[in-house]
Order: sequence, then C-alpha cells, then structure tokens
Amino acid sequence: MKYVILIHSNPQPWGHPTGDYIAEHQALPAAQRERLNAEFERLLTEMSANGELVAAEALADPSTATLYRWSGGEPLATDGPYSESKEHLAGFFLIDVSGPERAQEIATAFSGPGETVELRPAMWPGGEEH
Amino acid sequence: MDTRLEDVWRRESPHVLGALVRRYGHFDACEDAVQEALLSAALHWPREGLPANPRGWLVRAASRRLVDALRSDRARLDRETTANRLAPSEAPATDSDDSLHVLLLCCHPSLTPASQVALTLRAVGGLTTEQIAAAFLVPVATMGQRISRAKARLQAAGARLGDVTRADLPARVESARQVLYLVFNEGYAATGGSDLLDVPLTAEAIRLTRELHRRLPSDTETAGLLALMLLTEARRAARADDRGDLVPLADQDRGRWDRPLIAEGVRLVEAALPAGPVGPFQLQAAIAAVHGEAAAYADTDWPQIAELYRMLDAIAPSRVVTMNRAVAVAMTDGPEAALAMLDPLLREPVRGHRLQAVRAHLLEQAGRATEARAAFREAARLATSTPEQRYLHRKAAALAD
Repeated sequence: MKYVILIHSNPQPWGHPTGDYIAEHQALPAAQRERLNAEFERLLTEMSANGELVAAEALADPSTATLYRWSGGEPLATDGPYSESKEHLAGFFLIDVSGPERAQEIATAFSGPGETVELRPAMWPGGEEH
Repeated sequence: MDTRLEDVWRRESPHVLGALVRRYGHFDACEDAVQEALLSAALHWPREGLPANPRGWLVRAASRRLVDALRSDRARLDRETTANRLAPSEAPATDSDDSLHVLLLCCHPSLTPASQVALTLRAVGGLTTEQIAAAFLVPVATMGQRISRAKARLQAAGARLGDVTRADLPARVESARQVLYLVFNEGYAATGGSDLLDVPLTAEAIRLTRELHRRLPSDTETAGLLALMLLTEARRAARADDRGDLVPLADQDRGRWDRPLIAEGVRLVEAALPAGPVGPFQLQAAIAAVHGEAAAYADTDWPQIAELYRMLDAIAPSRVVTMNRAVAVAMTDGPEAALAMLDPLLREPVRGHRLQAVRAHLLEQAGRATEARAAFREAARLATSTPEQRYLHRKAAALAD
C-alpha cells in the first residue's frame, strides 16, 4: 500500500535537515537529538534496503516557488509561497508498505518537535476495500 | 572469477551488441540476446575456464539466441520474408570494434539528452537498468521505461548502426561528447546516490571518453573533454569533508589531489591546444590544469585563468562563465572590478543561487560584511542542494559573529 509522508515545517532560515534549523528541535538535550537522528537514519537505511522507500525529496525555500493560477481565461504565473500559513511543505517521502500499521510506525519515527508530519494514503483501485 | 567475468563482460558487451546490431538490426532483440549470452557465460566459464576469445564466444552464443528468437517470432507471425537472411552459418565478424558505432547510435538526434545518456550507459557502458536508476536516483521502473521508449524511438526512426555518414560524424561526435559530459557531471555533482554504486558514473564517463579519444586521437575537443574529466576527478577526495559538505577550491587540501591524474590531464590538454581548433572543453581543461598545477591557492596563476575565461566567454558565452571570469578578475584587479562584471547578470530575470553565492564571496572579499551576509542568506534560500545550502548558511553565520 502506498502512502506519502508530508513534512510540514518552518525552518529558520530555510534549510535541511529541517531539525537543524528549528528552535524547538535545537532546544532538546544533545543526547536526545542524537538518538532521534540515529533512529531516523537507521529507519531510512532499512527502508531503502527493503524497498519500502520509493522516493523522497527535500524541497527548496517556499518563497522560490512559482504559482500558476487561471486568470481571465489563461494561466497567470506569480511568485510563491503558496500558503500564508506558518508551516510549509518542506519535503515528502513516497512509501510502499505492507499495511497501515507499518505506515503509522514510520510516520511516528519521522516526527519531531516544531513540525507536523502528515501521513496520507494514496488512492488505488479497490483501495476502499482494504 | 566473478570480478574477472564482470570485467570481461563490461569490456566486451558493447562490441558484442555492436556486432549483432550491425549484422541483424533489431536493437531491442539483440540486447536481449546479449543478456542471455552473458547468463550462459556465467554458467559455462566458471566451470570450463575463460575461453581464448571471449568476444567470439559471446558473439556466437548471442547470435544463436537471436536467430532462434527471431525465427520463433517469425513463425508465430507467419512472416518468412527475411528468414533466409538469418542463416546462422553467416555469423557476424568478431574482430571488429563496434563500440564507437553503438555510442554514436545511442546519440541519435531523435532521442532526448536524458534518453541518450541512459541508453549509452546501458548499451555502451554495460550497466544494468538497476545501476542506472540508482545513479540517477529514480525508481527502476521509471528508468526501464525511459530505456525502452528510447529503443522504440530508435526503431521508429529507422536508426541503424553504420548509418552515420562522414558529413554527420562531427555533429554525432559532438553530441556523444555532450552525453559523456552529462554522465560525468551527474556522477560528480551527485552527493546522495553515488555511494550506493559499485561503478561510479564518473569512472564510467572517463572509461568511455578514453575509448572515444583512442578511436579519434586527432579530435582535439574529445582530448579536451578527457583532460577536463581527469583534472576534475583528481580533486574528488578533497572536494567534500567527512560530513559530505562541500569544500571550496580555496580551502581544499591539495595534498589529497591525485597527482598522476593531474599530470595526465595536463599532458592531454597541452598536446590538444596547439593541434587544432580550440573549443570550450579544451579551454575548461586548460583552466582546470592551471588550478591543478598551483601548489597552493595563493600561487594560482590568476592572470592566465582570467584570460582563458575571457576566451571561453567569447566562444561559448554563458552566465556561469561570466561568474567564473569575475572570480578570476577579482584576484587580478580586485573584488570591486569583479562585482561590476556581475551587475548585468543581476538585471536578468533568472533565479538561481549561484550568482548570489559568487556575489557574496566577492562582497566578503571587499569587506562589505553586511551585504555579504545578506547575499549568502539569499543564496542559501535559492539553493536546491542540501550540502550547498548548509555551506552557505555557515558562511552567513560566520559573518554574523
């Protein structure tokens, strides 16, 4: 089953890994930060090896985005960011896992202070039967 | 045996594929037949030892498979019009070197550059679809589709080996050079996937460019390209620190540069420059050679580098060349002169972090710390490579102290 994991974050200044630029994350005790980072790396390595990780991208600063909206019968391009909210889409992972339990386990391990992690199932034929 | 088998295979596969395609056409079917011949070799060679003529062995095995496959296709389709052309007694010649022809076929103008690159790595480099997908960080299925679409397009365009006329040759060789340069750059710029590969793309690009240079020794731009690759590859070990972060040329530990590679690159470019028309690859190689020969950053022959960039800007003008020329001018005439060269670029509506990063370094040299910090921040905001972004943040933070 395919899911996307969306990382909504507000690193200041914009940078990756986002945790390095988030005050709440930097405020954690050093030992805890290292443990979280090590766990994340371990999981990512495991998912690359077993094929659960399909694709992942870190995204550039939301203000560098170009937005295309339909206006007066034709597309009109303007500069980003897309949303005025505090958090922005900072990156995504496309995963293909055995079931919702595994997806939840991964999303939990991807979460961190000062960020929202969104786990979103992909639509697929017959998906609603599962 | 395994690594020896692999070496023989990677060396021979383009020749075997070339020999079959030249004889029978059907690029796609030939490739399948070559793969099957390898499987057969993997079974027989470890038991029976390496044959005296591995290429001949592989060509014979692949030809048999191909003829069988084409015959059964024909029987199924009840088409026998060309079956008599497929007599296995007429095996293709095995002593000719067809790898150059396969390279030129993969650079057919009907293909996009991305497809040319993928097909070249597959058919000439002998890499598997999995390896190519890993190198470009795309799923295997995506790369598989890209390669099969490319092969279908070649088929549709009626492209055949040996159909490159003398008049086409310079354009085809030029696009082959561009493909090899793209392969090299992909390997050099990649920071994520390259470690996963047992065959780095840079090594593959160098191997194939060496081959092209060996076949066309009087082509000075091919010599220039090979020199550029060797001189760039020579700095690899010094280019990233232990965390994988970028180390700029000025701060690199030159003790970690590969001296024999530099010497070879310098020899190549010194022989190429006076021998024929001077092209962009030769000039870029000449610039890399000047850097390579400087014992320390402070010893760099900046007037010569500025002059080479002026020549490069004249024959192949681009924003990147202007920026690099400005960096050299900063060393000969000072940072303010260099910043003035960048002003026209600032007025162009092109976004990209590189211009801001170069400006930031020049502003820092000029002692304009506040402007430099703002430019480093702006460059970091625009950067799309994580190691570069981290480097730019560090520079901005250092100026804030």
